[in-house]
Amino acid sequence: MTTQIGLVFFIAAIGLCVIGIGGIVLSRNLFRMVLALAIAEAGANLLLVLAGYRWDAVAPILSAGQMPAPMVDPVPQAMVLTAIVIGVGVQALALTLVVRVKQRYGTLDMQLARERMNAEIDATADVTPPRSQERPRGERPLPAPAGGAHD
Amino acid sequence: MRNIATLLFLGGLAFLLIVITGSLDFGAPPMRIGTQIQAATAGDVGTANIVTAVVLGYRGLDTLGELSILFAAATAGGLVLGSAAARARPDGGFILRAGADLMFPLLLIAGLYIVIHGHLTPGGGFQGGVILAAAFFLPLLARPGTTPGHRWLMWIEGLSGATFIVIGLLALYRGDAFLTPLFDHGTLGELVSGGSLPLLYLAVGLKVGAELAGLLMRLAQDDEVTS
Amino acid sequence: MTDLTLAVALPLLAAFVRPLFNAGALRWLGQLIGPVVLALVTVILFAHWSTFSEPFAIALGGFAPPLGIAFYVDRMALLFALAVPLVTLLLWPGDDGADGARRQSLTLLLAASLTGLALSGDLFNLYVFYELAAVASYGLVAGNGSSAGYVAAFRYLMISALGSVVGLLGIGLVYFKTGTLNLAELATLGNELADPQGLAAFAMLAIGFGVKAEMFPVNGWVPEVYGAASRRVAALLAGLASKLAVLVIVRILLLMFPSDEARQLLLVLGILGVVSGELAAYQARDMARMLGWSSIGQLGIVFIAFSLPGEAGLVAGVAAALHHLVVKSALFVLAGPWGGAIDRLRGAATVSALGAGLFVLFALSLLGLPPLPGFWSKFLVIGGLADAGTALHYLGMAAVLTGTVIEGAYLLRVITTLYAPPAGSPAPPRQRGSDLLTAGLFGIALLAAAVMIDPLWQTLDALAVSGVDTAAYQQTVLAAQEAHP
Repeated sequence: MTTQIGLVFFIAAIGLCVIGIGGIVLSRNLFRMVLALAIAEAGANLLLVLAGYRWDAVAPILSAGQMPAPMVDPVPQAMVLTAIVIGVGVQALALTLVVRVKQRYGTLDMQLARERMNAEIDATADVTPPRSQERPRGERPLPAPAGGAHD
Repeated sequence: MRNIATLLFLGGLAFLLIVITGSLDFGAPPMRIGTQIQAATAGDVGTANIVTAVVLGYRGLDTLGELSILFAAATAGGLVLGSAAARARPDGGFILRAGADLMFPLLLIAGLYIVIHGHLTPGGGFQGGVILAAAFFLPLLARPGTTPGHRWLMWIEGLSGATFIVIGLLALYRGDAFLTPLFDHGTLGELVSGGSLPLLYLAVGLKVGAELAGLLMRLAQDDEVTS
Repeated sequence: MTDLTLAVALPLLAAFVRPLFNAGALRWLGQLIGPVVLALVTVILFAHWSTFSEPFAIALGGFAPPLGIAFYVDRMALLFALAVPLVTLLLWPGDDGADGARRQSLTLLLAASLTGLALSGDLFNLYVFYELAAVASYGLVAGNGSSAGYVAAFRYLMISALGSVVGLLGIGLVYFKTGTLNLAELATLGNELADPQGLAAFAMLAIGFGVKAEMFPVNGWVPEVYGAASRRVAALLAGLASKLAVLVIVRILLLMFPSDEARQLLLVLGILGVVSGELAAYQARDMARMLGWSSIGQLGIVFIAFSLPGEAGLVAGVAAALHHLVVKSALFVLAGPWGGAIDRLRGAATVSALGAGLFVLFALSLLGLPPLPGFWSKFLVIGGLADAGTALHYLGMAAVLTGTVIEGAYLLRVITTLYAPPAGSPAPPRQRGSDLLTAGLFGIALLAAAVMIDPLWQTLDALAVSGVDTAAYQQTVLAAQEAHP
């Protein structure tokens, strides 16, 4: 019985992780990638906090200087607190970058943004790209393709 | 086609990870350092909330690193978006303004309460700091025209972070290791207890609040012309 | 003696207060604070290095390990820690204004976190310092304000954050199985991690920490970031930051997973890195991205070296890592004005003879021409691979040799372009004086190493002996009380 419930938690943690990783790999929208990252981090944090769970144990807070009952491991809780804050910082920075990419390249589509970035690096380096001479140069965004890059 | 391959790969990854974790002993952790920390907290650190003892005492350097990460993210955000200036934007309207005025003191009190009681109850500098950030961000949403106090935020950011390190360095000056808790422990469970830990948590709370408020304001007020 | 924790605490303190001094009467203080603190840290670390007798541990917060976080100080940690403030000083961004202050802040944070990576002996603390280094470098990459920099920084952030999630899963797995995070205590529990789950945890940790080390599957960010970021930032990331990430992986390998399977995993990833990096570098048509791809290949060689068992592997790895640190940083500095298309450099030697000479020096050392240190580092790697003598090791040897041939092809192509007769207009770009000074200092370091190869060899040997001595690591850390020397 106990192991079955444990398995449910593990599947939840790993499911979140894999959904997040899949979201980052599969989606082309920059903002969705940030959201997927948040999901993946939630999964990793869940696994971390599970590492300290004990059956029939209470929160690690002393009352009147005594341990009232067996307490769960406090170390993973502290680690998760740290990991969550780190995640918040990274996501906030990712969002500021998304805002700027959207303003400069006029798109939220990863593939388009990447093409334009490579074209810009080529242009600054004065390298003509090997195959596609007709690629846009510089920062001027092209009109979005019919695929609907703007969400 | 590529998507199907990726999905298959992800399915395989999930299966592999579940097999790996499935054989772990859930609910009965080894607690190699956990048990010792639980037993030693009352004597070593003197905070009722053991998680706080771990966050600020046993793993204080992690917390310093974490503050630095938030600071790095806010600094990098500033570098990317530039210093925000107030932008002409439609007013929030009466309901939003009145609500923000009403909420501001309440959020401030709740945030400070959670920060100050971090060593006794669940909560602390991070949780309280987020509420403080919300308290200062809310008026900005209601009155988009007002200039945010970026200089103030910068000083709070810098000085609260410096306070954390200076408290750590004081211990070094006294002859102990970096970040050793200072002062007497006091009576366990009282508001003034746990030595210098509540001071550290106050610094953490102010820094987190200032950092997050600054980042939110930058995102909200970014005014480079959208192309 | 001053406490070594200052090497981490002081740059952090300086970074926190740096933005407060970017205007007003105290502006001069703001400009000074970074270099002064870094110089101070260099002095502290050098004092420890010169009086070093035997490894010791520092229990942070006075909590005896394994309960608290411990720093472990041996020659290897000190050497890498010493490299951090030195190289950061050489590559210091000296610009002014609010954005300049932010850049300096981020550089100080990067220096503090990299020193922390060298010294820390706690798994989760390593993760925190690693993340700090990562976030600071996203900011520095995006910090030059080009649109390409924002996209490159975003992709770098996503790849790195994915790695962090995987690494965090690895830490969770380790904690699940052992209930501790202290590397020394984990080393005493070797057999608890010597099973398939342990190997999976190692793979996860290697992927997590491997992103900054430009390890094979997670290095897609490298060419774009080095192409889009300012060259000094690229030098800092490729030269310095990657080495500290490698050091972390090596510590984890030595202490937590001393198994053959883990070494083979590192070897295979290294071989793939060498092959893919060098081939892509051959195809690159601009200097910055060529150097980026080539650094993936070079770090592949470093991983191959560290995958060799025993002291030989450690000596070879440290030698290869330090050599790459000096050479690649210098090459990226030279790529400041010369970072563009290689075709444009025709006749550049006529306008900056010194720059071209330095480039030749570094390129030849990278290739491994005998009197230069690059030869010895490659010699050690090849020798170690021949000694180990399994099929996989011979494959590694073949990869290193092929990589060197490809390297020769593209580096000589650049050199012949530099010394070709000028094409007329536009005139080839000229080197800046400050860049030449920085690269020249790296060049002096390289030549000094070539002259003093004998004492250097002995130092590396002593370093490796204590580096592989995991028993001493365990005893030193676990016996450390609050007292420290």
